[in-house]
Amino acid sequence: MTLPAAESLIRRLASGEQGALAEFYDLYSGLVHALALRILRHGADAEDVVQEVFLQAWRQAARFDAARGSVEAWLCTIARSRALDRLRRRVSRREDPGAAAPAPSAIPRNEEALAVRKAIGGLSEDQRQALELAYYEGLTQSEIAARLGEPLGTVKTRIRTAMIRLREVLGPLPS
Amino acid sequence: MSEDRFLELAPLAALGILDGDDRSGFEAHIGGCVVCRAELAVHQAVVALIPLALVPVAPGQRLRERIVAGENAHAGTTRHWPALLATAASLALAVGLLLLRGQRDAARADADRAHARAEAAQAEARESAAALVAAQRDLGEAVGFRALLQRRQSRITGLAGLPAAPKAMARVIWDPTTREAVLVATGLDPVPAGKAYEAWVIASGAPVAAGVFRPDADGRAVLRLLAVDETSRATTFAVTLEPEAGVPAPTGPMVLAGAV
Repeated sequence: MTLPAAESLIRRLASGEQGALAEFYDLYSGLVHALALRILRHGADAEDVVQEVFLQAWRQAARFDAARGSVEAWLCTIARSRALDRLRRRVSRREDPGAAAPAPSAIPRNEEALAVRKAIGGLSEDQRQALELAYYEGLTQSEIAARLGEPLGTVKTRIRTAMIRLREVLGPLPS
Repeated sequence: MSEDRFLELAPLAALGILDGDDRSGFEAHIGGCVVCRAELAVHQAVVALIPLALVPVAPGQRLRERIVAGENAHAGTTRHWPALLATAASLALAVGLLLLRGQRDAARADADRAHARAEAAQAEARESAAALVAAQRDLGEAVGFRALLQRRQSRITGLAGLPAAPKAMARVIWDPTTREAVLVATGLDPVPAGKAYEAWVIASGAPVAAGVFRPDADGRAVLRLLAVDETSRATTFAVTLEPEAGVPAPTGPMVLAGAV
């Protein structure tokens, strides 16, 4: 979805226009659900997060600021935070995630998604693995180093290099 | 911890993975350092893009019904209720709605409390920022000069104030090889509400946005420019007055400009 169209939909959502939430949900629920599943690897927990995210987005639509990034990025930031909170509560209770996540069924949706996928695909395997532990598992730098059995300095350099590489490939970004 | 070290921590902070001394040091430093805040913001924008690489997975249809039903309740379409409540299915829906509304109200209360805490924290941050203005200014300039001037390939370009800002002056210290650049400006007028200054890098084509900024109370500013490709072959650096969110192409009056 182009940014102006997405902004228009957000405005309709913020003004309480009938049907806007359904439209908004149909557009973005697949991405939010995929992210929640990737982090939690549990269908029911992931759907709970999707519900929380759309509730929050519906309530805070008026606060969305297009200058700070796309609607997708905004929703994913909310979704990651909520999913990681849930993951940490589960870890602290030593719960097993149980059921495996369903397999994805489609290709990425738009040029931005393809560009990000290509940028991440361009990282070395070591960089990508460390970045994913950081992003999807919410581990701290020391926890990542312990998980990988690598020195902390090595892990920090690896992740920093990966981030700088993504920044270069993805071009100027809203700041 | 040196300034360079904090800049190196910014991508890690954007991912939220700092811990120990790195975390406490970075958090203590960031409130007073405009350079590191800009660096952090750019990396946070990168972090927000990471999940876009995922392949969407549609959730179950029942979830959609539950969420969209919440919207119908919110819109207050009472005339539909008698018919809806006449069915067992709608009774289940009503229970779902109550839960959803309760959850939303609780979330709103949470948000209000968080908002109050954020306001208190912001007030505290403003006080700290005021106390740190002088240190920030010196430190910011030191970062730009030290990090870039130490390199043989770094260059300095002077920017003169234009009629819209005759007292303004600036220098851009930049490295065409790494595309790093720091703008140090003085004599800038305060920006009106809703406005900010925006830096531009011009090579052979259209100006490319390189970051927005506001001067401090003394009219000074230090901005680490975004690492745009054009910096490697820059011919001109410029600053215009624009809407505070920044714009993709200049629209406002030019206040500073300098040819390489």
